Amino acid sequence: MKIGVFVCHCGSNIEGTVDTAAVAAAAREFPGVAFATDTMYTCSEPGQEEIVNAIKEHQLDGVVVASCTPRMHEQTFRRTVERAGLNRYLFEMANIREHVSWIGKDREANTNKATDLVRMAASKLLHNRPLLSKQFDINKRVLIIGGGVAGIQAALDCAEGGLEVVLVEKTTTIGGKMAKLDKTFPTVDCSCCILGPRMVDVAQHPNITLYAYSEIEEVSGYVGNFDVKVKKKATYVDWDKCTGCGICMTKCPSKKATDYFNEGIGKTTAINIPFPQAIPKKAKIDADFCMKLQKGKCGICAKVCPSGCIDFTQQDEFVTEKVGAIVAATGFDLFDWTVYGEYGGGRYPDVITSLQYERMLSASGPTGGHIKRPSDGKEPKNVVFIQCVGSRDKSVGRPYCTGFCCMYTAKQAILTKDHLPESQTYVFYMDIRATGKNYDEFTRRAMEEYNAKYIRGRVSMIYPKGDSLLVRGADTLMGTQVEVDADLVVLAVGAEAAAGAAGLAEKLRISYDSYGFYMEGHPKLKPVETNTAGVYLAGSCQGPKDIPSSVAQGSAAASKVLGLFSKDKLASDPQVSVVDIKRCIGCGKCMKTCPFGAIKEIDFRGMKKAEVIETVCQGCGICTSTCPQGAAQLQHFTDNQILSEVNALCQF
Amino acid sequence: MPVLKGKELRIVGFLCNWCSYGGADTAGVGRFNQPTDLRIIRVPCSGRIDPLFIMKTLMNGADGVLVSGCHPRDCHYAEGNFYARRRLEVLHRFLPILGFEPGRFEYTWVSASEGQRWQQVVTRFTEQIHKLGPAPKIAGPEASATLRQMEAVL
Amino acid sequence: MKYQQELKDSIRKALPGLDVVIAWSAGYDPLHATPHFIRREEDIDRLEIGPFSVHNLATYLPGLRGKKVGIVVKGCDSRSVIELLQENLINREDVTIFGFPCTGVVDQTKIRKALGHTGKVDFCQIASQTVVIGAGGEEHKLRLSKVLADKCFSCQYPNALISDHFVGEKISPSAQTEGGDDLEAFENMPLPERFAFWQKEMDRCIRCYACRNACPMCVCRDHCLAESRDPHWLSQEDSVRDKWMFQLIHAYHLAGRCTECGECQRACPMDIPLLLLKKKMNKEIKELFQYEAGVDPEATPPLLSFKMEEENIKEREW
Repeated sequence: MKIGVFVCHCGSNIEGTVDTAAVAAAAREFPGVAFATDTMYTCSEPGQEEIVNAIKEHQLDGVVVASCTPRMHEQTFRRTVERAGLNRYLFEMANIREHVSWIGKDREANTNKATDLVRMAASKLLHNRPLLSKQFDINKRVLIIGGGVAGIQAALDCAEGGLEVVLVEKTTTIGGKMAKLDKTFPTVDCSCCILGPRMVDVAQHPNITLYAYSEIEEVSGYVGNFDVKVKKKATYVDWDKCTGCGICMTKCPSKKATDYFNEGIGKTTAINIPFPQAIPKKAKIDADFCMKLQKGKCGICAKVCPSGCIDFTQQDEFVTEKVGAIVAATGFDLFDWTVYGEYGGGRYPDVITSLQYERMLSASGPTGGHIKRPSDGKEPKNVVFIQCVGSRDKSVGRPYCTGFCCMYTAKQAILTKDHLPESQTYVFYMDIRATGKNYDEFTRRAMEEYNAKYIRGRVSMIYPKGDSLLVRGADTLMGTQVEVDADLVVLAVGAEAAAGAAGLAEKLRISYDSYGFYMEGHPKLKPVETNTAGVYLAGSCQGPKDIPSSVAQGSAAASKVLGLFSKDKLASDPQVSVVDIKRCIGCGKCMKTCPFGAIKEIDFRGMKKAEVIETVCQGCGICTSTCPQGAAQLQHFTDNQILSEVNALCQF
Repeated sequence: MPVLKGKELRIVGFLCNWCSYGGADTAGVGRFNQPTDLRIIRVPCSGRIDPLFIMKTLMNGADGVLVSGCHPRDCHYAEGNFYARRRLEVLHRFLPILGFEPGRFEYTWVSASEGQRWQQVVTRFTEQIHKLGPAPKIAGPEASATLRQMEAVL
Repeated sequence: MKYQQELKDSIRKALPGLDVVIAWSAGYDPLHATPHFIRREEDIDRLEIGPFSVHNLATYLPGLRGKKVGIVVKGCDSRSVIELLQENLINREDVTIFGFPCTGVVDQTKIRKALGHTGKVDFCQIASQTVVIGAGGEEHKLRLSKVLADKCFSCQYPNALISDHFVGEKISPSAQTEGGDDLEAFENMPLPERFAFWQKEMDRCIRCYACRNACPMCVCRDHCLAESRDPHWLSQEDSVRDKWMFQLIHAYHLAGRCTECGECQRACPMDIPLLLLKKKMNKEIKELFQYEAGVDPEATPPLLSFKMEEENIKEREW
C-alpha cells in the first residue's frame, strides 16, 4: 500500500503547539508511507485538492489526515478520497487537535504524541479494505414524540410534506406548556389563540395519527425501519365514542382531583377534559379520585353520558407502529422550587410559580382571569417577582440559565398592571437576559411604561407578616438591604429536563447531558440531529427554549426528516460484522450476545454457521469480541486493525 | 515513537466512539489541559473491546491502559457496555493474579458532554500510573518486528 | 472398581442404539489407562474404570457431533458435558451419559516423582488406601492420598451431575471445600512474586498446545487464535511474552466456562501449573457472579449475559 499523510496546521490551532512539519517528516519513515506533507487547512477547498492531486501524482492507495476529530471531518475527507477514485474506507484520521494541540502546550510532547497518532493511523490503514454499502428499503413514516409546540410544528411540516405522521403525547391533550400560557412575549399575543388553530390542524390533518395519553414503551430497529411499541394508557373512556360534550364533568361528584393543567391552582373533577380547546377533546377519568374505581360506588358519569362511552374496565393497550424516522420533542418540566427554604419551601400559599400565575391570568383558568391570592382570594396590591429560581444556581445543581424567565417575568409584570392598575410590581433579578428580537425593548417597557421596580439582587428570606409576606433581599446596585411588603410572590421557576427524559433516551439510544437534556449531533452544525441515525430533536428536550426557537427547531427537524425520506432507499453503513465461514464453528455465542438479532444461523454443508444480516447489523462489534476464534470480524475495526494500533504504540 | 524519557509513560486508552471519544473531544474543544501520555484507540463501542486487547497492550509493555465507554443504560448500541462491564471487571480481577498491579488498568464511563470529567479522569489516571512507575517488561519479540511481519503480508 | 460389571451391563444394553461409547481401558503399562472407543459388543470387555481413568472424555464430544455417542463420566467430566450442552456445542438427544461415583484419580506426576524413575512398570495393585507398584524389580508402597490428583481432594461433585444411566451408590463430596494448598500458597504471594512466578513457569512452555487439545472447552480446534494470522494475536516465536499471552487467551476464553477438570495441567509435558491459574480465576468468577460452570445445563455463562444492575461490580468512582 502507498500511503499519503497530510498533517494539518488548522491555522494556528494545531501548528501553535505541534510541529506539523516534523510530524510529516517522521511519517515519511513509517511503513507504507509514500508521501507526507503538512498543509494549512486540509479541509479547505485547496487543502482537499492537494489530497486529490497527491493521490493521482503519487499513485496513493490510502490516505491519513492528521487534523481535527474524525467526528468533525471524517465524512468530508472520505468524500475527498472518493473523488480521487479511492474507496472511502481507505482513509484514516489522526485526531491531533482535540486530543493533542488543544489540551496541552508542551510543543515537544505534543509533536511526539501527534507523530504517535499518525503512526497508529498509518498502521491501521495498512489493514483497511475497500468497503461498499448496500441499499435498503425505508418506511417513509415519522414518529413524533411530544405534542407541545415543537412537536406540533414538526408534525404539521412533515404531514404537509406528504409524510404519514404518528404523534404520541403523554397527556390527554396536545399543546404542551404553550397551551397553559395566557399571553406570549414580546407581542402579548393570546397564547391559546395562536396555538389553538395549529392544534386543530393536527387533529384534522389526514396524514397525522394522534395517540394522546400514550407513551413510548419500546423502540427497536434502525434508521428507515424502526418498530415502535406505543402504550395507550387506560382513560376509562372510549374515545371513539366520546364527543367531548362535558356533561360528565358537570355531574361528577368527586371534585377534589388534582388539576394538572391548571398547575394545582384549584381542583377539578375526577372525570375531566383539561381545557376547552383540548385536542383531542376527550374525557379521561383520574383513577386516583374516581369513586367508582376506588370504592366501586358511583358510576354517575356512565349514567349521564349520552354516548355511553364510559368503560370502567378499560386496560392499557399496546399498538406497534413502523416508522423510518423519529423526532423527540418531549419538552421540559419545571424545577421543584420547594428545595429553597428561604422562599418558604412551599409553606406559604401566596408564594406561587410563574406558570401558576399564568393560569391565574388566563381567562379560561380557574380564577377566570382574575388575580387572586390563593390564601384569601383577595386582589394583591404589591406583587413581587423573584427571578432565577432553579436557574444559574450551582447550589441546587442547576448552573445553567433557563433563558426565557427574564422575558416572561417582564410580560407578567406588564399583565399585572393591566389586570390591576392600582398594583405595584417588584422584580428581583440577577441580570436581565433579553437577547431576542424586540426583547430588550419589551423589558424596558415593563420598567418604564408599567413602572415595574427592578431590584438587582437575590432574596434572602420570605416570611409572613400579618396577612401579607415580607420579602427581604439585597439591592446590589445600591449596596443596601431592601424589604418589600408583598401580597403575592411569583417565582420565575427554571426549566429542567422532562421527567422520564433519560428513560426515553435509553429507548431511543441517544445521549443526554448531566441535566437530562438530549445531546445534539454537533453543538453548532447539527442542532437537531442526534448521533443516532434517524432520530432528531426539536424544542426544549435539547435545552430550554422559548416559543420561536422551539417552532424553528420543529421545522428544522421536519426538514431533516423530509430530506432523509427524499430518497427511496438508504445506503447501509458497510462497517458491519462479517463472519468468516471457514473459521466459524457454529457455537452461536455471537447470536446470543447481538443486541439487534442481526446474526442468524445457517446450514452450510450440514454444519451450523453464523451469518450477519448486513442491513440489520449496527456495527457495535460485540460479536467480534465474543467470538473466541475471531471468525466474526467487525469491518473497519477488525482484530488486526486494532492490534496493529496496539503494536504501533507499544514498541519497546 | 518512543515515550519521552523522564517525562511520559506509555498509556493507552480504548474509547467508545459515541460517548467517551466525544467526551475527549468536548474536553479538547473546552481547552481542558491534560497530561500528554495518553494515546487513544477509537472503537465503536466498549462492547467491541476484547479484554485480550488490554492484556496484549500490557504484555507489550504499556504502563497503563484506560478504557472508557458510555454510562450504563446509555450505550449507543443498547447493551454493549453491559457486556463490557462484566468482561472488564473480570479482567480487572484477573490482572493481579498474573502479578500486574491492579491500578495499571481502569475502566470508567464518560459521556460525550462530560469534557471536564474526561480531563479529571485522564489526569487522575496518568498520576496513578506515574506513581506506579514504568511497568516491568516481559521478554518477547520487538513489537516493531511483529508489526513489520503483519505489514509484510499486505 | 466394584461397579465395573454393572457399568458394562448398562453399556451392553444401550450399545445397539449408539454409534460409539467412549470409556477407558488399560493403557501401555499398569499405571496408565487409555481412552477406549466401544463400537462392538466385544470391545465392552476391555473397559476398565478406576483411579487411572484420568482422561476427561468429554473432550471428544464436540468432534463427534451428529453421531449417537455414549460417554462414561466422572463427576468432574460430567460438568464439562453440562457446559458443552449449555453452549449448544453438543445435542442432548445425541448423547447417552453413563455416570459412576468417582473416588478420585491419580496424578501421574506425583507417582513419577515418588518412584524417582520412569523405567518399565511391572504391576500395580491398589488396596484401600495403599498403592503397590512393582518396577525395576522393586516394590514401591505409596499411600493413595499421596498420589491422588489435587483436584480430587477438594472435589465437590464426585457423582455425575447429569447421566442417563448411573451405576453404584452416590457418594458424598469431600469435606475440604477450599481449592487446596497450592491456591492458598499462591494467594499469599505478593504481586511482584506472582509476576516472576508466571514468567518462570510460562518460559518453560514449548507451545505444543497439549493443554488446549486436552481441554474439553477449547472448541475452536483448527481455528485457535494461537496459530492464526488473521487475526494475528501471536507471533510464532519462542518468547515468554507470546507463550504467556497464549495461556492468557486460553484462560480468558475459559472465564466462566472452565469446569476445573484439570486436563490442561495433566496434559502439559512441562508440568506448568495451569490448573492453578484456572482455579484462581474461577474463584474470582464465583465471587463476582455467584456462578460455577458446568452445574446447570440451563444456565448462561456469565460473560454471555449481563444484568442492568450488577450486584458485585462496584464501578469505581473514576
